[in-house]
Formats: sequence, structure tokens, C-alpha cells
Amino acid sequence: MANGTADIAAPILQLSNLSMTFESAHVTVVALQDIGIRIGRGEFVTVVGPSGCGKSTLFNILAGLAEPDAGAEIRYHGETKRALELLGQVAFMPQRDLLLPWRRVVDNAILPLQVEGMPRAAALKRAEPLFGEFGLSGFERHYPQQLSGGMRQRVALMRTFLFERDLTLLDEPFGALDALTRSLMQRWLLEVWQKHQRTILFITHDVEEAIFLGDRVLVMTARPGRIKLVLEVPLARPRPSSMLTSPEFIALKRQVLAAIEEESVKSFQQTAAD
Amino acid sequence: MRTGFGAQLAALAGILMLWEVGVRAFGLGSHVMPTASAVFRDLWANPELMARGIVRTMTETLLGFAIGAAIGFGFGSAFAVSRAFERLLFPLFVLSQAIPVIAFGALVVMWLGNGIWSKVAIATYLTAFPVTVNTCRGMQSVDPQRLALLRSFGAGGWTIFWRLRVPFALPSIAAALKLGISLGLIGAIVGEWFGDTVGLGILLLQAMYNENLPRLWALILVCGAIGIFIYALFEAIERRWIFWKQEI
Ligand SMILES: Nc1ncnc2c1ncn2[C@@H]1O[C@H](COP(=O)(O)OP(=O)(O)O)[C@@H](O)[C@H]1O
Ligand SMILES: [Mg+2]
Repeated sequence: MANGTADIAAPILQLSNLSMTFESAHVTVVALQDIGIRIGRGEFVTVVGPSGCGKSTLFNILAGLAEPDAGAEIRYHGETKRALELLGQVAFMPQRDLLLPWRRVVDNAILPLQVEGMPRAAALKRAEPLFGEFGLSGFERHYPQQLSGGMRQRVALMRTFLFERDLTLLDEPFGALDALTRSLMQRWLLEVWQKHQRTILFITHDVEEAIFLGDRVLVMTARPGRIKLVLEVPLARPRPSSMLTSPEFIALKRQVLAAIEEESVKSFQQTAAD
Repeated sequence: MRTGFGAQLAALAGILMLWEVGVRAFGLGSHVMPTASAVFRDLWANPELMARGIVRTMTETLLGFAIGAAIGFGFGSAFAVSRAFERLLFPLFVLSQAIPVIAFGALVVMWLGNGIWSKVAIATYLTAFPVTVNTCRGMQSVDPQRLALLRSFGAGGWTIFWRLRVPFALPSIAAALKLGISLGLIGAIVGEWFGDTVGLGILLLQAMYNENLPRLWALILVCGAIGIFIYALFEAIERRWIFWKQEI
């Protein structure tokens, strides 16, 4: 792998035949169809796809919050698991920051530790050294409502990182940020990832972001979501922002865009037909 | 939005002045409408009597409120957590409220005697219902995404209850507590009418039998002042401690 630590031979997560159908009184929506993925330890894998293609649904399943259709196989650390058994096993950051307005920044960050049963004092001690790294020094005692969108997102990220699990799922963590803040956050996330040696699965709808961050990019199809393309990103790390204009980067981008374009058109026609 | 405290005091003084002047101008006898000064003179002349009544009625109100709030929180939580339990008992709760509390008054006195506990029971009964309803509704409306997040951290039902459901429902519980304490005060006063020797309700009855209008008005003012005081107290607590109503 590009960063040299990922080990695809002993994958941390393997999915095969994974489909997910939502059935309600009038409509049946096939959100995911025959998804197959292998994620190696320490890998940073990004997922791009048109909106509504089932990316968040996939994460809900991996976080243990939804059970896929029968026949799906989920192997976590080599063991076959039902989705429900993944509850508490995977660090999941949903699309919205979902901070609790009655908790200060510190207390929001340590929430997962307290849920695990760690006393507050011990949890605070664990969290303390991270505030600087997450750009939150001096804001520990603020309430979420007093923070900007970018800072709220960092609190949510810090909360996710404090929930130390072998797999971290980030659902469009920078989707709502302005371009400048986003590129700062991207470089910062790469630093944090390399330092903490986590395995990250990262959803985005931004192609540049997907290539810039990922060891591999998974491109999904429009509904029903399938894996359309798995693209290795052989760009050396650490990646400077000047890389965004290099010919290699642009070639990769062209490849992903072509795949996405096809899918977006389909998705658009689908919506028009709905 | 908020007029100053000074302006509010001035308005109050103006109303008292109007009262005084109006009663004198129309020459209403003290058996119809006493002057404001007569009312305050009565208040001033009987501090011990008033204080004893206030202490007794407040004790009944607060005890009844505390017990009613606890019962309401307990049942409301149980209803929120268990649909089956809610279906079974919630209709009974609603039905019980359709019966005016007065109808139970005599029964409560026969069961609990003429002392403080019969009044506490009535105040409890009145407080428990709004707290039950709002606790239940508040907890049921908990944000499903935040619920999912906590579950993804491996949180069990108990953790979710204390860390999410309770704080989430607190703004709506606080609204019910404000209503509950006001109802509790009414319950305590009315409860005293079924028989006792001390309390604001008893003083009201005595003033009525003696056609003592200044006393009657003095008591009305005292009851009003207590009502405003407890409401303001709860409002202040709510502002200070439960500030996330709009954020969820
Ligand atoms: N609970 C649900 N019930 C019914 N349909 C759902 C549900 N959740 C998601 N869907 C549908 O599944 C599809 C995929 O949704 P989602 O995973 O949120 O897409 P993405 O995150 O890629 O934008 C959408 O068409 C959405 O309407
Ligand atoms: Mg999504």
C-alpha cells in the first residue's frame, strides 16, 4: 500500500454479497446490491458515489445499526459476524456532528469513554492531550452551540478518535465546511491518521478529497449501490497540497470523474423518473 | 421584549392607587370591596397568622409537588420506555384526570385524616399528571440519530436513558414542573377546605364566614404572591440550568 503499513493479506474487514433492501408499504428500495470489500489494517479507504447511492446505509450496517439482507457475509478480524454484533466494535462518525447541547466540548468528546464505563476524571485525563492536536485548546469548556461548524466537526472527530476501535468510519466529515477549512482539515486528518495508525473508511462526494486522502478509492454506482470501481492511489505520502495539480493526480481524477459522471447521469434520470 | 423591573413595579403601584381611589370615589362599602389600604392594614396587623398559614400551605404544596413530580417522572419514563406499559396504563391516567379532584376530596380526608397528608395527596395528584405526560412525550421524541450514535458506542438501555433520554426530555419536564407546582398550590388550598385548622385555605374559609373582606383580599394577594414567587423561581432555574431547548 501507499503508506506501507496496510496489510490487505490479513484484512480487518471483509464484506461479500452484502445487499440491503428497504421495504415499506408502497415501495421497495434496493439501497445496496452485492457489495464486496476488503479493507486492510491501517488502510485509508475513501468511498465516493452519487448522493442516495447507499453510502450512509453501508456505514449504518458496519456500525451495527442496521442488519443487511440475508445472505450477506461480514467478516471482522476474520470472524463472521452479524451486523448487530458490531455495535460498540467500530468507531462511527455520522454525517451530522450530533453533539449533545447540554454537554460542554470536553464532555462531548469523552462521551464514548463514559459509555464504556470509564469514570469522568480518567476520561478527561485521556482526552486532555488531544485538545491541542484537534485545534480545540481553550474551547474545552464551551458549549457546542458556541462553536463554528468546523470546530463542531473537530469535536465530533475527537469523540470518534477517543473511541479507539480497529476500524473508524467517517461519513462526509468535511461535507459542510468551506473549501479553505476543508483542505486544512484534510491535511490535519492525514497527520492524525498516520500518528494514530487507525484504519479509516471515509465517505465523501468530493472526488479530489477522495484521491488526496485515500490509499484506495471505491466508486459506487447510483441506486442500487454497487462497487463500480476500485482505484489504487499510488501517490507517495506525506502528500503536499501541490500534489493536487500534478499530472498523476489529474489522471486519477479523470478516471474517477468518468466513472462518477456515468453514474450521476443515471442517478439523475432515475430521480426524474421516480 | 422584557420591560424593566422598575416599570413593572410602577404599574403595580398604579393599579393599587386606582383601586384605592376607585373604591373611595364610588363609595363602595367595605362589605362589597375594601380599599387597598384596609387590605394592607389587615395584612400588617396579623403577621403571625399569615406566616403560619403560608408555612403550612407551602409545606403541603412542596411535599405534594415533590412526590407528584417523582411519581410523574417514574411513570412517564416507564411509559416512554415500554409501549406495552403505556398502552395498558396511560388511558387510565387520562381518565383519572377527567374526574375533578374535588370529587376525591372527602375520600382522601377519610383515608388520610384531617392532617397534612390529605392535602399533600391532592397536590400530588394534580402535579403527577402533567409531569407524567411531558416526561413520556419528551423521552419519546428523543432524536433517533443521537440514539443511534450512542448505540454505536455500545450503550445499553440504562446508559441511553440517563445520558440521552433524561437530558433530552428535561426542557419539556421543566415546563410540566412549572405547571405542576401551580396546580399543587391550588390542590393544597382546596384540600384544606375539607377540614383542618391551619393554612391559607382555612383562613380563606374563615374570612368568608365572617364576611371579613379586607382579610379575604389580603389572603388573595398572599396566594397570588406565592404563585408568582414559585413560578418565577422555576423560571429562573429553567433559564440557568436547562438552556438547550432550541438546540436539539
Ligand atoms: N430507513 C430507510 N427506509 C427507506 N429507505 C431508506 C432508508 N434509509 C435510506 N433509504 C434510502 O436508501 C437510499 C440510500 O440512502 P443513503 O445511504 O442515505 O445514501 P447516501 O448516503 O449515499 O446519500 C436512498 O434512496 C434512501 O432514500
Ligand atoms: Mg449520506
